[in-house]
Amino acid sequence: VNRRSLIALGKVALLVAVAVVLQTMLISRVSVLGVTADLFLILTIVLAMGRGSMAGAAFGFVAGVVADVAYMQPLGIRALVYVLTGYFVGMVVLRLGSLGPWVVFLMSIGASFCSQLAFGIFQFVLGPRAGFLTIVGLQILPEAVLDGLIAIPLYVLLVRLGILPEPRKQPVAAKAVSE
Amino acid sequence: MMPRNKVAWRRAVFVVLIIVSLALLTITFRESDSGPVHAVQQFGAGLLTPLQSWGSEVADPFQQGYQWFKTLWSAHKRADALEEEVQMLQGKVIQLEEKAEENERLKGLLDLRDKGTYPDGTDFKVAEVIGKSPTRWESWVLIDKGSADGLRVGLPVVGATPAAGESLAGKGLVGKITEITEHTAKVELITDSGSSVAAKIQGRRAEGMVEGSLSGSLTMDFVDRDIAVDPKLVIVTSGYGPIYPADVPIGIVANVGEEDVNIYKEIEVQAFVDFRVLEQVMVLIIPEVAE
Repeated sequence: VNRRSLIALGKVALLVAVAVVLQTMLISRVSVLGVTADLFLILTIVLAMGRGSMAGAAFGFVAGVVADVAYMQPLGIRALVYVLTGYFVGMVVLRLGSLGPWVVFLMSIGASFCSQLAFGIFQFVLGPRAGFLTIVGLQILPEAVLDGLIAIPLYVLLVRLGILPEPRKQPVAAKAVSE
Repeated sequence: MMPRNKVAWRRAVFVVLIIVSLALLTITFRESDSGPVHAVQQFGAGLLTPLQSWGSEVADPFQQGYQWFKTLWSAHKRADALEEEVQMLQGKVIQLEEKAEENERLKGLLDLRDKGTYPDGTDFKVAEVIGKSPTRWESWVLIDKGSADGLRVGLPVVGATPAAGESLAGKGLVGKITEITEHTAKVELITDSGSSVAAKIQGRRAEGMVEGSLSGSLTMDFVDRDIAVDPKLVIVTSGYGPIYPADVPIGIVANVGEEDVNIYKEIEVQAFVDFRVLEQVMVLIIPEVAE
């Protein structure tokens, strides 16, 4: 483990700590249209966009475990969902071109929607079997949009702080082919 | 041993994380509540508890601010709804006020009927005012009852309008029917310039004629100069003549004028009935005298 990796690890740890503080202290208490944003999920998505699928999956795992602890849920549910989310977001971004605000917004909405849907299926299987479509309309869709709205400034902020690299102009996969 | 290929490394990490997640999930569900994974989770949750309670204090002003905006928005919407409701209620209040006024007027007419001394066999017919003279040249009202209701030309009409103060205020003589159709009748008001009513001043042995004018004011003429007349005295019909029965209130003495060249007093009369707001009247159907 070299120095660069240690610094990156420290940054991620700091990011998780900040996310815990912000999510538990502030964000979970502010509901917009009846839903609250999930900073752990947003950070997982944003990090996967900026750092790729492995970082996304790793951060997703840590964030998921922390979220499970914070929300007192069966340990591993969110971890699993966030790992999948981080990994696949990273994979999709790898094949995308430039990462503009609209891409960040729409990707975040899509990723949040799928992630919550997966989580919802878990809940549906384990919990009361009623009102799944209602939950999609009242919870999953609005939260996906809210997460998407928060993802854009958060992405910009993390780029400015140097936690995420500047967005690419060309997809990595295409670059590899052209080389 | 680490895979050399970056993609393989990435996939390996992903698979490991998935396995760990599933393992955690499985253990959580399979172990008892006092198991190690639960213990770790509870310990972690315990660490977060102060953050959450502190968070509630920190977040409180933000929440309140947000709630304030939310309340403001809902208050704005509610204000619109209430505005509509107020308008609807105002409409209802106006309707009720109208009803109350109508009630008051009808009560006045009943009062006139019960307290008045009319010839035997007199019948009463309440009618709505449906039209008024368009110019000041004439003073009349059109009522919604006619010959089909037993009305005929020459019948006296009394009325009641909202007024406060004097006991007779608002109730008194309106005029007489001058024209008639099957379902309507034209009532010439006592304020008409061509109208004259034989009248007397109560409490005095003074008699005269109450006459209308183009200005709408009433004057009592032909009152003997020797008789002392004070303001506020009540003027009623004297009963002389074929139309008006005796003792129907007309108004009060408002002002007494005396001119050296005039052998009679000229008395300004304030009518009990406010002719501007006349809405209902009562026709006194006095039995026809066989000739």
